Amino acid sequence: MNEQELVEYFRTQMGKDPDMASAVAAIRTLLEFLKRDQGETLFGLRESLTSATDCLTGVDSSVAVSSAGELFLRFISLTSLEHQDLSQCKKVMEERGELFLQKISMSRAKVAKLCHTFIKDGAKILTHSYSRVVLRVLEKAAAEKKRFSVYVTESQPDAAGEQMAAALRKLDVPVTVVLDAAVGAVVEKVDLVIVGAEGVVESGGIINKIGTYQMAVCSKAHNKLFYVVAESFKFVRLYPLNQQDVPDKFKYKADTLRSSQSLSEEHPVIDYTPPSLITLLFTDLGVLTPSAVSDELIKLYL
Amino acid sequence: MPGADKNTDLSERIEAFLADLKRGGTGAGPLRGSAETARETTALLRRITAQARWSSAGDLMEIIRKEGRRMTAAQPSETTVGNMVRRVLKIIREEYARSRGSSEETDQQESLHKLLTSGGLSEENFRQHFPTLKANVIEAINELLTELEGTTYNIAMQALEHIHSNEVIMTIGRSRTVEDFLKDAARKRKFHVIVAECAPFCQGHKMATSLSQAEIETTVIPDAAIFAVMSRVNKVIIGTQTVLANGGLRAVNGTHTLALAAKHHSTPLIVCAPMFKLSPQFPNGDDTFHKFVSPHEVLPFTEGEILSKVNVYCPVFDYVPPELITLFISNIGGNAPSYIYRLMSELYHPEDHEL
Repeated sequence: MNEQELVEYFRTQMGKDPDMASAVAAIRTLLEFLKRDQGETLFGLRESLTSATDCLTGVDSSVAVSSAGELFLRFISLTSLEHQDLSQCKKVMEERGELFLQKISMSRAKVAKLCHTFIKDGAKILTHSYSRVVLRVLEKAAAEKKRFSVYVTESQPDAAGEQMAAALRKLDVPVTVVLDAAVGAVVEKVDLVIVGAEGVVESGGIINKIGTYQMAVCSKAHNKLFYVVAESFKFVRLYPLNQQDVPDKFKYKADTLRSSQSLSEEHPVIDYTPPSLITLLFTDLGVLTPSAVSDELIKLYL
Repeated sequence: MPGADKNTDLSERIEAFLADLKRGGTGAGPLRGSAETARETTALLRRITAQARWSSAGDLMEIIRKEGRRMTAAQPSETTVGNMVRRVLKIIREEYARSRGSSEETDQQESLHKLLTSGGLSEENFRQHFPTLKANVIEAINELLTELEGTTYNIAMQALEHIHSNEVIMTIGRSRTVEDFLKDAARKRKFHVIVAECAPFCQGHKMATSLSQAEIETTVIPDAAIFAVMSRVNKVIIGTQTVLANGGLRAVNGTHTLALAAKHHSTPLIVCAPMFKLSPQFPNGDDTFHKFVSPHEVLPFTEGEILSKVNVYCPVFDYVPPELITLFISNIGGNAPSYIYRLMSELYHPEDHEL
């Protein structure tokens, strides 16, 4: 499977189901790549997978795709430890890969099931930009006949917040779109803040659309609950200490990275929110405090 | 018929326990401490295991879950009952896994690692029958009971590490655990204790009497004086009713005030709580677990004139967020509040969080 086919397959996966997380599409693509791979050695397989992941991050530079790639590589290593023979190993990998995809397709439902009980009747919720997981949680809460209202930030530069507002209006949830700059003014009115995450880092902090950090700081200043909902495959092996530590390859869109002359003139699309500002994380592995996240990552990678 | 007698005997005991629970938690402090409740619950669960009819681990877990639900419904604020039920359920799972021969550790918890490496959508349904399972489970429950009996002693043993000579310690209300903790330290060290009386039940008075009988210099202060006195205090040591899953506390009312005053003065806040008080609940609402009792203690009914014009409340518990707590001292040692999630995963299985 060469680069072009890879990119096309990835694009088709993303297009087929707009509700699917980009990380899931990446894993599907890598699984397909694995199936079609002709290599004879494990080392060769790992090499080609690494270059395939690089290729995919060239299409979609988000943290989620990169973490999916690393997860898949780890998956290969773990499986290969058990079976020495490559062809048998590949068969096992394909089976487990399918199973893994099945399990993570249920992860959003698990998160929604955990989180909706934390939304009280009459709650006012603030959220940021368009997150499919948050939408799922709010859907579940609405289905449980809870009455709540939502404030969504517009989230420039792509106005993703409007998409979220439209989806919420379809659920008959009263929603107000606010300017990104209005977060500080609005936060005193709300009861809790729920955001999604593109990546969950080792310290328990999150990487999410630009404007999330602002929201977190404001909600901490007003002592509001700040909840993060994310599936477990978004856990990534990064440990940024501040905004600058987040690698440039995640901060900007893939085309910007390729085409621009000097990155200092570009606007970053993500920011980092430290764990001290987060109250709880809702994942398909359960409700976690930020300190529990590193435990999960250690269990997997070490 | 002996079989039928055993059954009715068992259900009688369960009913008696439920009635006791319903009565036990009415105002004026608990009629029984949490330690006794924990012990009685565990003894009752052991009896159920021994006497009820079950053929596989799954059946036993269903029976225990059902009884557990009834018990927690009888007295929702007494969380030790639910905690013990969950401990026993975890014991059953472990013994089952051990009987099957599979390594119990990795199979239990959900984790990323498990997601990647498991071979099949294993639905563990606990249907296999093992003849030795009953004996193993009962033995494990006996170990749990021994552990429960040793908790106060284990906590008190750590007292000398934390209390030094000539220190001023503050506490609130009455906690048997803290009482034993302080009395143990008093055998070797001289220190001063300030007890906040904890209105309206004023359990602090009993605490002060008991401590002074052990020859500890004690002072009783009203709750309003907590902030004023805090600047003279070296450490705050408190007990609690429940430790929540995020590391927060559900403690006697007035504890949040005490915690905030301690934070303001950067005084360490130490919580002495045995492991059976650790509950997998999260504080997901500020009205979902407040328990109120008769406001007679706050404003007696004799003040009839103004009663129609005011609302009087008498809450029993307070929520203390984990940021205000420095250290948890439990029967297994000292831990930071951020470590509570780890202790929880060792004690309870995630599927048992909701009984």
